[in-house]
Amino acid sequence: MRKIRHYVLLCIFFGGLSVCVGAEEIIAIKADRIDTVTSGVIENGIIVISDGRIKAIGNDVEIPDVAEVIDVSDKTIFPGLVNPSSRIGLSSTARGGPASNPHYRVIDELYPHQDQYKHVLGAGFTTIGLLPGERGFVRYYPGYGYWPSGGPPITGITGQGAIVRPTGKNPGEMIIVESGFVMIHFQANDKVKNVITSALDSAKGKMSSKDPKVRPLVLALQGKLPTFVLCNSPGEILHLVKLLEPYNKMKLVLVEGNETYRVTEELVKRKIPVVLPAQIEFERNTRNRINVPRMLAEAEIKIALRPEFDSVAGHEDFLRKMAELVKSGLNREIAKKAMTIHPAEMLGVDYRLGSLNVGKDANLMILSGDPLDIGTKIEKVMIEGKIVHEAPLGETVDE
Amino acid sequence: MSKIYIRHIVLKLLFALALLLIFVSSPLSAAEEVTAIRGGDLYTITGGIIKNGTILIKEGKILDIGQNIEIPEKAEVINARGKVVMPGLVGIGAELGIISYPNITKIADSLDPFDFSVSLALASGITTAMVSTGQPSGSSPIGGVTAIIKSSYGDLDQMMVRESVVQPVMISNRNWLQKTTFKQNLRKAQNYLRKLTESQQARDGNKAAEPKKPSGLDAYFRLLRREVPAVVSASTTGDILAALEFVDEFGIRMVLANADEAWIVAEEIAKRDVRVVITPRQKRRPNEDISGPSGSTMENAAILKKAGVKFAIIPTSTSFETWGVVGRDMMALPMEAAFAVSGGLDEQTALEAITITAAEIIGVADRLGSLQVGKDADIIILDGHPFHHKTFVETTLINGKVMYEKTKSLYFSHITHDK
Repeated sequence: MRKIRHYVLLCIFFGGLSVCVGAEEIIAIKADRIDTVTSGVIENGIIVISDGRIKAIGNDVEIPDVAEVIDVSDKTIFPGLVNPSSRIGLSSTARGGPASNPHYRVIDELYPHQDQYKHVLGAGFTTIGLLPGERGFVRYYPGYGYWPSGGPPITGITGQGAIVRPTGKNPGEMIIVESGFVMIHFQANDKVKNVITSALDSAKGKMSSKDPKVRPLVLALQGKLPTFVLCNSPGEILHLVKLLEPYNKMKLVLVEGNETYRVTEELVKRKIPVVLPAQIEFERNTRNRINVPRMLAEAEIKIALRPEFDSVAGHEDFLRKMAELVKSGLNREIAKKAMTIHPAEMLGVDYRLGSLNVGKDANLMILSGDPLDIGTKIEKVMIEGKIVHEAPLGETVDE
Repeated sequence: MSKIYIRHIVLKLLFALALLLIFVSSPLSAAEEVTAIRGGDLYTITGGIIKNGTILIKEGKILDIGQNIEIPEKAEVINARGKVVMPGLVGIGAELGIISYPNITKIADSLDPFDFSVSLALASGITTAMVSTGQPSGSSPIGGVTAIIKSSYGDLDQMMVRESVVQPVMISNRNWLQKTTFKQNLRKAQNYLRKLTESQQARDGNKAAEPKKPSGLDAYFRLLRREVPAVVSASTTGDILAALEFVDEFGIRMVLANADEAWIVAEEIAKRDVRVVITPRQKRRPNEDISGPSGSTMENAAILKKAGVKFAIIPTSTSFETWGVVGRDMMALPMEAAFAVSGGLDEQTALEAITITAAEIIGVADRLGSLQVGKDADIIILDGHPFHHKTFVETTLINGKVMYEKTKSLYFSHITHDK
């Protein structure tokens, strides 16, 4: 409810702008296939959109007379992609730590005027979870262990992540949720552990505090805000799970971790979802290829997949990588969920994003075919009923 | 109404009974779980070799050991016929199992059960390691934290055995400042401890005037109270004798590491009951600038043994590698001990130097280092004599649980040799 009010407020504040203007029109899309992700595929389906939301969806939906009809009856409709953990378009922040800075908000460093966002949009991403703190890429290098890309990362509680659309002329137009989740950059050592637990413990004693340094932690402790934890090595995941055991209402989401499959038991036991890069990994110190998303999915761990590289090229490559994962055994349905509804759930915005259902935002892609076929092109991208991207002429596969 | 109420109560009672049964029966069934290792030659280390013997393991400890032991019907049996069964090896200074962040002050908070080296340790039969991290800063000779850990791959809870069991001290003739600081701080700490006892004795009689505790000397107090030994790297005769001065003056316990020239002053070391860690294959040129003997010798271990010095053996490199110069790292721990045997040491003492004596030096001989009833069931099964170059570790158990099997190993299962 709070979030809806929030949204309404946003609409009022930026009312003159595209979101609400587009909302007054009624649009109907006729498509060959509509993949709702959560409620199956609708053949020869129709979506009616009004106020930027899906009003009706199905085979025998009546198209209102006033509706503008987009007839793409040979195309496939798929929900817009959701990348739950990205730093795209943001610069790297000050380094140091460990420290507790829950009041720090990633939206304060948001800079909408960037070409990158156009390309990300063109790659089908309509929602991005932006991480506060240093670039969220910690990788395993054989022989060197785990290293963050470029210098030591800031550790501890590093702030609040935001949920944005990769479009808009100012931060207000981009933001979907200002404070979407609390971010922890975890490392298994006594100093980082102390910083985290002492901050959480002190918040426990001030549950009604409005202090911006405390409030996000209170919400995280109550499970009202998800907590994203950057924690790569499987050993560190064991430390993390042990450390946060007393705070059992927290909704944890593990970010990164290409060796997470070594601790599936712990993750299943505690129902912790994982955000993984969409790529085939090498098993440590070998050339054995492993499909980590498949391994986690088969262990019944909820996964969300994000581009392997947090760059324009990475985003543009994403669907191809997803297709590769499916080709090597990742369940097709789970793959579809892992790029739409699962990340939306992890970000706590599944009530309005991540699938094509009545009442949800009309965030979708118009595709030349199945999203997991390598030959498929993204022809149009729509955010809240408004076409925000059209493939340039010559890039479509008509005729 | 009352009928429903009664049924409700009955249901509740049944549920409680079921819960009770679960709680009562589960620990019992767990207690009954016995593992047996049957038919191997048991190198007990402390009690000779038991041919064709049996070990019973229960709750992670050795329950029984001997030749005519009845194996319980339900026991899980590991067949070790024709194999060598011995306690897991102890690697002093082995580099494994820690996520190496700078300035770690508590090793328990940074253990990594998925470290690649942990899996290699299991494959090489090393079940216990003394790990250390950190360096002394500035002129302080006191540096680093230590812990005894087990190489229980994937199992964080079983890793930690004991923390802060020894105190690394950096003193050498090359760095007079650290040596001076060490001596001055020891005197300061000793002074305080003496005043403290005096004041306590005075309190018993009459007035109390407790002395002010100097700050930053906790490590020195622990040394002076003989709670932990100081580990000093001392390879030359000069360094060894200089370190022994501290034993004479302050009565602290001491372990000499890298003691290449210990053989020259073996009697002096034996007199003070100081323990030694040596690397038989380590080379050191004789120093031609000094009179008398110097340099390394392959007889080091044998001479120390004759003098009555207790020592542990470690390889030239304390890391675990699957590349580089083969046979110089921790994976070749038994080979290093075998080299001491070729220098004149008896096999039994060489085996002790990588098991019970090593455990004793790092203060865990009460739980580890030999096959004895009541000790931790950290056991390795080998396909030959531990000192034979063809020998492989086939099975490694930690706390009675099979942690490694060569047949399932990604790295070693394919290696076989001609019979």
